[in-house]
Amino acid sequence: MSYETVIGLEIHAELLTLTKVFCGCSADFGGEENTRVCPRCSGMPGSLPLFGRGAAELAIKAGLALNCKINNFSAFDRKNYFYPDLPKAYQITQFNYPICTDGFVDICTKKIRINRIHIEEDAGKLIHDDELGLSLADYNRCGIPLIEIVTEPDIRSAEEAKQFTAAVALALKYAGVCDAKMEQGSLRCDVNISVMPKGSKVFGTRTEIKNLNSLRSIGRAIEYEYSRQTELCERGERVIQQTLHWNDALGVTKALRSKEEAHDYRYFPEPDIPPLFITDEEIKAIKNTMPEMPKEKKERYLKMGLTPADADLLIFDKALADFYDEAVKCYNNPKSVASMIIVELLRRMNDLSLPAAELKITPSDFAELCKMADDGTVSRGAAKDILKQMLEVGGSPMEIAEKGGMLMSNDTSAVEAAADEILAANPKAVEEYKAGSAKVFGFLMGQMCRSLGRSANPAIVKKVLEEKLNS
Amino acid sequence: MSLKELIKTATLKELSNRLKNKDFSSVELTAAYLERAKELNQKTNAFITFNEAEALKEAKKADEQIAKGEAQTLTGTPIAVKDNISTKNLKTTCASKMLENNTPIFDATVVLKLKEQSAVILGKTNMDEFAMGSTSETSYFGAVRNPYDLSAVSGGSSGGSAAAVAAAQCPAALGSDTGGSVRQPAAFCGITGLKPTYSAVSRYGLIAFASSLDQIGTMAKTAEDCGILLNAIMGKDNLDATSAATPFSDSLSEINRGVKGLKIGLPKEFFGDAISEEVKVAVFKAAETYKNMGAEIVEVSLPDLKYAVAAYYLISSAEAASNLSRFDGIKYGHRSEIGETYEEVIKNSRSEGFGKEVKRRIMLGNYALSSGYYDAYYNKAVKIRQKLRFEMDEIFKSCDLILTPTTPTTAYKLGAGDKTLTKIYSADICTVTANIAGLPAISTPCGYDAAGLPIGMSLVSKAFAEPSLIAAANAFEKQFERRGAVL
Repeated sequence: MSYETVIGLEIHAELLTLTKVFCGCSADFGGEENTRVCPRCSGMPGSLPLFGRGAAELAIKAGLALNCKINNFSAFDRKNYFYPDLPKAYQITQFNYPICTDGFVDICTKKIRINRIHIEEDAGKLIHDDELGLSLADYNRCGIPLIEIVTEPDIRSAEEAKQFTAAVALALKYAGVCDAKMEQGSLRCDVNISVMPKGSKVFGTRTEIKNLNSLRSIGRAIEYEYSRQTELCERGERVIQQTLHWNDALGVTKALRSKEEAHDYRYFPEPDIPPLFITDEEIKAIKNTMPEMPKEKKERYLKMGLTPADADLLIFDKALADFYDEAVKCYNNPKSVASMIIVELLRRMNDLSLPAAELKITPSDFAELCKMADDGTVSRGAAKDILKQMLEVGGSPMEIAEKGGMLMSNDTSAVEAAADEILAANPKAVEEYKAGSAKVFGFLMGQMCRSLGRSANPAIVKKVLEEKLNS
Repeated sequence: MSLKELIKTATLKELSNRLKNKDFSSVELTAAYLERAKELNQKTNAFITFNEAEALKEAKKADEQIAKGEAQTLTGTPIAVKDNISTKNLKTTCASKMLENNTPIFDATVVLKLKEQSAVILGKTNMDEFAMGSTSETSYFGAVRNPYDLSAVSGGSSGGSAAAVAAAQCPAALGSDTGGSVRQPAAFCGITGLKPTYSAVSRYGLIAFASSLDQIGTMAKTAEDCGILLNAIMGKDNLDATSAATPFSDSLSEINRGVKGLKIGLPKEFFGDAISEEVKVAVFKAAETYKNMGAEIVEVSLPDLKYAVAAYYLISSAEAASNLSRFDGIKYGHRSEIGETYEEVIKNSRSEGFGKEVKRRIMLGNYALSSGYYDAYYNKAVKIRQKLRFEMDEIFKSCDLILTPTTPTTAYKLGAGDKTLTKIYSADICTVTANIAGLPAISTPCGYDAAGLPIGMSLVSKAFAEPSLIAAANAFEKQFERRGAVL
C-alpha cells in the first residue's frame, strides 16, 4: 500500500522588539547569564506583567505578511506547566482569541492555509553541566516575544514543508517582524505529522517533532518520521501519539513523552493583562508601513525583464534586493545591474563570506560601476577588479579606475603604434592569419592587451588590429 | 491625656492633625505604638514582623518634614501593612513557611505611595496563609486572636490588620480583599474595612492569590479614616495594567453628605436562614437608622446569590493554583532538602512549604481547570460571574447602595473552623459578590451580640462610587455608639 503524509507546522518566530513582551528588559540575543532580567520576567512574587504594544504591531505585520485576518479583539491566556526554565510556572500566550487568523502562503505547487498567529512569551534556557552535575537556568530569554504561526494540515511532503517554512521566514524578514535566524533559534519549527493510505480521507495518528532549527532538519525529520510511521502501519502496528525530539546527529526521532504523560495545560484567561483591542484605523496605519513583500517584488522584477531565476536569487536576500533596488534607482538598467550582482558581486561575497546586510559599498557606487562597464569607461575585466577593490579596500569605482590606470583610452594612435610593433614582431602569426587561421587572432589580441595594459579599449584594439591585418 | 492613653482611641485623622499641630512628634507617636503593639502582640498575634528600627528612622524623617511645613495627610502616621504586600528589604511572608524568608527587592505601589507621603510602616500583619481563609488561623506563624475575645477568631484573611486596629496596635492598616478578606475580619473585630472598586488600587507588589478578584483595601477605626488611607494609595499605576484612574480625586469629597434622598436596597437573599437572628436584627436596625436619616429603604433581589460562593471558590482557586505555581523551591520559596530529581524537589518543597488550606485550594483550582472538568466547573463559574454582575447592575439601576450583613454570625471560637469547612466557606456568602462584580464595599460595626462581640454590616455601591459609600458609612457611624475592645 502506498501512503500519504499529512503535515501541519507550528512555527515560532522571535519578534524584533527592543524590549521583552511583558517588561522593559532588553530583548537582544544572548548576553551574560541572568543580566537581562527584572522582577516581571523572572516572575518575582508580587510582580505583574505589562504588555508592550510593540509586540502587537509586529504580530499584526506578520499577519498582514501572511494574508491573515487581523482581529479587533484578542486576549491572553495562561498555559500552566512546571519547568525550571519557566519561572512563573505558566507561559502567557493567546489561546482562545489569537491576534491573527485565517491566512495563507502560496508555495510553488499550492496554497498552504494558516489557522492562526498568536503572541506568546519565550521561556529561559537551561544549561547542564555534566561535570559538576548541575543544571543552571538562564532567564535572559524569558519573556522575549514570540509569535506562533499554526498551519492547517495542508502540507503533504518534506519539500512542501521546507518551501513553506522558507517562504514564511522570508515574509517575516521582509515585514521586519523577525530576523529568522534559524541557527540562533529566532525561528523554530514544530512538525505535526501523520500518514494515511493514499486517497484516504481519515488522518492517521499524529506525532509532533519539536524544535527543528534548520530547513534541512525539517526535511530529514519528516522523511524519517514518514518512513517510521509507514513501516509501523505496514506491520499492522499502531502509531502512538507522542512528542518527539529530532536527533540530528543520529538522524532519528526519539520520544520525549507519550500521551499518558501528556500535559494538561489548564489554560485560562490571563487576569493580569486586559484584552487587546485593535481598531481598523490602527490596522490600516500599520498596513501603510508595510514594505513591498517578496511576491510583489518578484512580479515587479519580472516586469523589469529579469528571469524568474534571477529574480528569486535577488529576492531571497532582502538586504541584497534592497541594494539592487537602490542601485537601479541610480542607473536604470535593471538587467545589467542584476547581472553584475548575480555574476560578480554574489561570487565575491561568497568568497569573503560577506552577508549583503554588511556590504560596505553603496548602491550608487555599484550602479556607477555597472554603468562604467556598460559604456566602455572601463573594460569588463577591469570592472571585476574594481569591484574586488571596492569590497576589500573601499573607494569609488572612478577613483579606483583612475589610480589603477584602468580607464579605457580612446586614443587610436597608441593602439596603432602597438599594432605595428606587434605585427612586426610576429610575422609568422600574421602569415597564419592571412592563410585563414582565425585562432591566431586571439593570440595577437592578447599580445596587444599585454602591451597596452588596462586602459586599452578592447573594441578599439580589435578594430585596429583587424584593419592592420586586412590591409 | 498621655500619648499612651491617647492612642487607644485616636483616629488616623486626629493623629494626622495633632502631628501637624506638633502636639507630639512622629518619633514619639511611633515609639508609643511600637511599645503597645509589641506588648499586645503576645495576646493578639496580629503582627508577624515589626519594622522597629526603620519605622523610627521614617518617623524622624517625617518630623523633619513636619517641621519644615511640608507635611502631607499621612506624614508621620504609623500604618500597618498586611504581610502579602511587598515591602522592600522587609520580610513579606504571606504567613507561609513557603515565604518565611522572602525579602522583596521592591516596594508594592501602595507601600511606595505611603512612603512618598512619609507615612511610617509600623510592621507586617498576620493573615491566613496566602490570604486563603476567613479566620487567620491558617498562618504558619500562629492564629490571630480577636481583641474582643482572645479565644475567638479575628476573621480573615486580613485578621492581623483587623485585630491590630481593634487593639489599637496601629491606627490604620492595609489589608487585601479577594472574597471578603478586609470586610469580614473588620466585622469580627469591630472596625471599619473598605474594599475599593477593582482596579482603583494598584495590585503591583501584592503577592497574588486570585488576580481577577484581589483588591487592596483599607482598615481603620472609621470610614473617614479608611477614605484618608484610600486617598493615599488609589489611582492608575503604570506598573499594573489592570489599574485605573478613579473618577474622583478625593474619596472624602461627599463625607458630610449624609444619606438623605438615597435609595438603599436590602437584597432579600442576604437575610435567609444562614444568617443568625442577632445579625439580622442589627442590620435591620441599621436600615431603620438610615430611614430616619432620610434614606429610602427598598427590598431588592439578587436571585443567583446562591451560586456566588461556588463560583467564587472555583475562580479564586483556579487563579490561585496558577499564581502559586511559581513557588517550586527552585527559584522561589522554601526548598526541601529531600529529593534527587526536579520533580521530587518540587513535590517535596511544595508539600513542606504550603499549609493544608493552601494545598486544598491548589487542588481544587487545578481540578476545576483540568480538561474534562473545565466546562463543568471553571467555565460555569465564569458564566455565573457574568450573571451576578448583570444582576448587580440591575439593582444599581434603581438603588444607590445596598445594605447587607457582612457575616452570617459573629466571631466564633478558635479551632472551630476546621470541623465545619463547608460552613466556613458558605459564610463568605455576604461578601464574595462585591469581588465577583468588582464593586466597592465597606463594612462597619452596627451592633454587638449577647457575648459582646461586634456585628458588621456592609454597604455596596456601583463601581467608583466610593465617595457616597464612605459618606453613607460615616453617617451611620455618627449615629452608632461603638464599644472599644478592652485590652
